[in-house]
Amino acid sequence: MKKHQWHSRAVAGGVTLVLGLSLAACGGGSSGSGGGSGSFHVLVYGDATNKVEKQIVATFNKTSKVKAVLDTIPGADYQQKLQTIINTKQAPDVFFNWGGGSIQPFVKAGLLLPLDDFIAKDPALKSDYLPSVFNTAVIDGKSYGIPMRGTQPVLLFSNKKVLADAGVTAPKTWDELLAAVKTLKAKGVTPIALGGGDQWPTLMWYEYVYDRVAGPGLFQKAMSGDKSAWDSADSRKALSMLKELVDAGAFGSAYDSVKFTDGGSPALLAAGKAGFELMGSWEYSTQQDASPDFAKTDLGYGSFPTVTGGKGDPNDLVGNTNNFYSVLKKTKYPDAIAQFLKLQSSDEFVKAQLAIGNLPTTNNTANFLSTSASPAYSKYQFDLVKQAPSFQLSWDQAYPPAAITPIHQAVQEFFDGKLDADGFIKAMQALPSS
Amino acid sequence: MTLTKSPADPASAALAPRRRPTRRTGAAVTRPGFAWAVPATLFFVLFAVVPLVLVAVLSFTSWDGLSSPEFAGFDNWTALVHDPVMIQSLWLSLLITVLGVAVQTPLSLLLGVWAAGRQRNRAVLSAVYFVPLLLSATAVSVLWRALLDPNFGVPSQARWLFGDGNLLGMRSGAIGVLVFVGAWQYTPFHTLIYQGAARAIPQVLYQAAQIDGAGTVRQFFHITLPQLRNTMITSMILMVVGGLTTFDTVLILTQGGPGTDTTISAYYMYQKAFKSFDFGAGSAIALVLVVVATIISLIVVRVSRYDDMRSTAEGL
Repeated sequence: MKKHQWHSRAVAGGVTLVLGLSLAACGGGSSGSGGGSGSFHVLVYGDATNKVEKQIVATFNKTSKVKAVLDTIPGADYQQKLQTIINTKQAPDVFFNWGGGSIQPFVKAGLLLPLDDFIAKDPALKSDYLPSVFNTAVIDGKSYGIPMRGTQPVLLFSNKKVLADAGVTAPKTWDELLAAVKTLKAKGVTPIALGGGDQWPTLMWYEYVYDRVAGPGLFQKAMSGDKSAWDSADSRKALSMLKELVDAGAFGSAYDSVKFTDGGSPALLAAGKAGFELMGSWEYSTQQDASPDFAKTDLGYGSFPTVTGGKGDPNDLVGNTNNFYSVLKKTKYPDAIAQFLKLQSSDEFVKAQLAIGNLPTTNNTANFLSTSASPAYSKYQFDLVKQAPSFQLSWDQAYPPAAITPIHQAVQEFFDGKLDADGFIKAMQALPSS
Repeated sequence: MTLTKSPADPASAALAPRRRPTRRTGAAVTRPGFAWAVPATLFFVLFAVVPLVLVAVLSFTSWDGLSSPEFAGFDNWTALVHDPVMIQSLWLSLLITVLGVAVQTPLSLLLGVWAAGRQRNRAVLSAVYFVPLLLSATAVSVLWRALLDPNFGVPSQARWLFGDGNLLGMRSGAIGVLVFVGAWQYTPFHTLIYQGAARAIPQVLYQAAQIDGAGTVRQFFHITLPQLRNTMITSMILMVVGGLTTFDTVLILTQGGPGTDTTISAYYMYQKAFKSFDFGAGSAIALVLVVVATIISLIVVRVSRYDDMRSTAEGL
């Protein structure tokens, strides 16, 4: 439990702020890890996937004179700690991120190395990857990240047994979804499990409905600073559809007391108390972990329903396109790092990721799908991502960090009826876009 | 110094150790040297005053933690004054503090006085009772989060009481849970304080009261309560400070939600500084919190005349 370190005293908060300041202020002197004798540091989010990263670093170090050193920061605090050290001597040379808004402040501060020179020398650094994924880390026309780990599209999961008992088939259209909600509710089942306490699962509903109704253009327009996009007819239509879904009792009434992160909403689905859950592709490994029998026999998955008359392509996806490695401008070993980045599309990397249930987004992934933890599921996902005309990065990752809290609050309050459509539109228009 | 002879003189060297201790003890009893305060003062300045001053400086800057802080004048402060969430967060902090004091004080007072008895079963029961105190606020929050899950926790078994179990998803429910969890964890601590103080009340007072024919209730209101006056003030100041800076439970149980319904000042500070990376605004909130907490503590001290340091044992 790492949270306790954010101690509850205001003064401690102050001290933390000041420590951050002094870290940023003391440029020289301290024993930096950035340079040193022939090694560069790779900083990653600390979790189960680290074993693959360790393996790749070991492989790299076998043949390279300049050695890679892997550092990890445990999950929940990763973004905070990264931002505290990235402009100091303690900064890594290469670091894990989510592309999009998560690196935008660093790009703006001039800290990151555009990778276009690497790519010019070795086009495979770009061409090895699915374009919809690679482009997430392109900012102002320059590439700042190489995909690593796996893709995480959001899918509509279901409990096959619950649906069969209620005589409901997986909904292809929005109207079928509404009908399914009505049927399931009549059966006394919560139609859709939602971990509203985490707020980001609620956001996933907005991302898909907006995409299906208006296409990816609306969000791109809003992101680029044209705030009128939020007040368009399409935006209002999407909101009224969401409202209709909530008012139909699709999520029950206690969804804001449920979280995904503590296993609440996945348990609802696995226990047969809910029919559907909209979640990132990690739902599969989550269920496999918590309810292996359910994951094996009754966990259904499919793409988000289409909306009749909507402008969005039914193949469009939302979610986290992938994670990325970005490089700091001040690194002393750009050439060695270019070699290191090249390993992120190697056969060894792809096989190792598939073995732990991740789905890499390299072109050679297709060759190894049969070695995955669940080949059918991996193949389904891979084809989805490959065919997707648009893969919308989660709104809270696409916008800069300052927008995360306001977005989460707005989506939660609109679902709860505390904000009406005008209120939601106003909240989204007030977001800092850069 | 005029009396001391040259150290070469063997006679004075033998005398010296005998004389020096007396001189030192005398000085220490009448007036402790300034040097005694140096370590504490140093730590206080280093870990309290210096950070506070730096936070004050930061509150006049715009800083995202990346580049150097830029001077922003009163921008953060004017934004704060016009920020409805900030005003609301202060009221929420105050509300949670007042509710916390109102729930915990009577509970811990009664339990403390009860536990001050010396029977064996009380010792065992009190030991069990103090368990929540041993758990970290994080563990406590995670525990209650699971227990209050609307679908799999206590509410699902007691629909007649909890309805749909949407405790954390609505304003009153979420605030109630925060107050309850805080009380669950910290009442034992205050009970411990009251227990210690109640045991220190001289038994002769009760014996005299019994001779005068006073019953248990009368003894409680006329002897125990007045004797615990200073303890009560100490305990309440601790509750006020703890209440105003509640953070861990909010972070884990509600994350300031639903919406901004439980975004108390301490959590709002964290949101601004470490989620939105607006350290200037975060520092301004931190300063407001420091000022408010100081004012409230001062009011409590003044109103209760705690600073008089009047002994409760007077009249003995």
